[in-house]
Amino acid sequence: MRLLVIEDDTTLRDALCKQLVEAGFGVEQAADGREGLYFATEYPIDLAIIDLGLPEMSGLDLIKALRAKGKTYPILILTARDRWEDKVDGLSAGADDYVVKPYHFEEVSARVNALLRRGGGWASPVFNAGPVSLDTARQELKVNEVVVDLTSYEYRIIEHLMMRAGDVVSKMDLTDRLYDQDFERDSNVIEVFIGRLRKKMDPDNSFKPIETLRGRGYRFALERNQGE
Amino acid sequence: MSSLSARLLLAVSLLLLVFFGATIGVLDVAFRDAGEQAQEDILDGQLMALLAAAELDDAGELFMPPDLPEPRFGSIGSGLYAMLSDSGREPVWESRSLLGLDVPFGAVPAPGVRLFSNIKLVDGTPLMALSLSVEWELANGDLRPYTFSVAESLDSFNAQLARFRRQLFGWFAAVALFMLLSISFVMRVILKPLRQIEEEIGEIEEGKRAALTEGLPTELDRVARNMNMLIGSERGRSERYRDTLDNLAHSLKTPLAAIRAVLSEQQANSLADKIEPQIERMNDIVRYQLRKSASLVTDSLGVSQVAIEEQLLRLTDGLKKVYKDKNPVITLSVDQRAEFRGDTGDFLELSGNLLDNACKWCKSVVDIKVSPCDGGGMRLTVSDDGPGIPQEVAGLLLERGMRLDESAPGHGIGLAVVKEIAASYGGALTIRQSTHGGAKISVSIPTKNEN
Repeated sequence: MRLLVIEDDTTLRDALCKQLVEAGFGVEQAADGREGLYFATEYPIDLAIIDLGLPEMSGLDLIKALRAKGKTYPILILTARDRWEDKVDGLSAGADDYVVKPYHFEEVSARVNALLRRGGGWASPVFNAGPVSLDTARQELKVNEVVVDLTSYEYRIIEHLMMRAGDVVSKMDLTDRLYDQDFERDSNVIEVFIGRLRKKMDPDNSFKPIETLRGRGYRFALERNQGE
Repeated sequence: MSSLSARLLLAVSLLLLVFFGATIGVLDVAFRDAGEQAQEDILDGQLMALLAAAELDDAGELFMPPDLPEPRFGSIGSGLYAMLSDSGREPVWESRSLLGLDVPFGAVPAPGVRLFSNIKLVDGTPLMALSLSVEWELANGDLRPYTFSVAESLDSFNAQLARFRRQLFGWFAAVALFMLLSISFVMRVILKPLRQIEEEIGEIEEGKRAALTEGLPTELDRVARNMNMLIGSERGRSERYRDTLDNLAHSLKTPLAAIRAVLSEQQANSLADKIEPQIERMNDIVRYQLRKSASLVTDSLGVSQVAIEEQLLRLTDGLKKVYKDKNPVITLSVDQRAEFRGDTGDFLELSGNLLDNACKWCKSVVDIKVSPCDGGGMRLTVSDDGPGIPQEVAGLLLERGMRLDESAPGHGIGLAVVKEIAASYGGALTIRQSTHGGAKISVSIPTKNEN
């Protein structure tokens, strides 16, 4: 999952980004509203964390601009302005939740996970589809109640596919989420990761969790369990 | 007598009374004097006629012929009487009209002097009398003193005077009434802009209007413009004040957040464990004290009427996003008679803190009810089906307000802020048990009435 952090305080931004990377997210960062708007519109982003008091362009205007451009990913407001007027303004401009400074990182990561999950249409942090169960809080995959050991890259791919279960996810999209920008992009790597995932999750090729759609990408094919 | 138009009307009425009173007095005196003068002339004429008619008889005595030129002397009780008396005031001759009446003609004047006097008959009829003493030269050349007296009833004169006075009063009353009516009409027209300003200031106080209408008559237009400038600067001042406090909070919290973020990079650090409570404490102080100071700005000119339902809908829409996983059933019922005059931010602070607590603690139900207080204002009640607030904790929260080192977790600062804001509006906070089993928190904000 790729997050965008827009925050003007350097110390705070660096610390937050570091914590988010440690928590397994890909992170882009911007220091002001204008830069933030560029990243938020030009990069594939799954969620944006936006400070309301930004230079160049206020967080509120930025949120409005993003929603006006048709960006639908979740937006978490990170604000030192804890007046309800500001919170309500932010929420009605199109943000989905807020965290008030000084925050505890656990609170931010809990909100981010909840928003990403909700954005994918999952009501609980544990995704259940057929025999597959992905606990996004623990970053743990189980098949038939048995834990499957995954590398960090493999986890990111299955999380992304399951988050958007039912939708086609392009190779390009997956590559973006695996690498930081400077890496050379090689789509064959994705095929390798998908092959390993299939082998680890479904060694007998019995329930075929990941479907290949030639030329379009991949799809997590299992039906979500009832009540998810 | 506080109204300008009442004062004006009273002053004009008094002036009219004095002016017309004096005029009536002068006219009355003049009319009466002229009437009396005329009356005296008539009496004098009658006396002269008697003098001319008097003759000496063979015995050398003065006598009056029976046929006098004035017929009223001949008819009984006609109102015109005459008497001729000798030096001892013994009547020598009395007119026929005097028959049966006793007319006190009064004293005998010095010879050659006309003496007018006002006398009364026994029955009270007022008369004007004129006596003239003469020395009559008899046939033998002796001079003999005689007194001629005439008197006429003043009944008809008085009736005439009374009629004149009635007419005078009637006309003046009509003119005065007309003048008062037209003056009050003119006043209404002239004072219209003043009344307009008065009404508009009332509307500004109620928050229904932002500024006075300009383009009034010259004398008032400057007042209105200055008033608008004052209102504007007052609003600007309190906005700047709030913004300054807000920026202060902002610029304190971002470093706090940075400190906390940097600290959390060092796992299991004893320094971090010591600093963390201090960060929490500083944050609480910033939140509570700055909120409290900001809510103290409640000037009567800068207020506006808050759109209660609209703001609550925005708030519940926002909170439904935040509590999407819990998805509480929020019911909102707003009585349109309820009103909140003040800052929209303060209203959102009151309702936001209460609603957020309710959403946080509820199992699934949150009720919001807004109704008018006794005598206007609003009562905002938020109830939920959560665990509720224990009586002793509620008591502490309400009595002592916020003690930073011992706030009830979860409900603490939010409720303390609500209490402070309510207090700054002269309102009160009550915590009860709701029928859903959870907390039921009411804030009552009265409408401020300066008048």
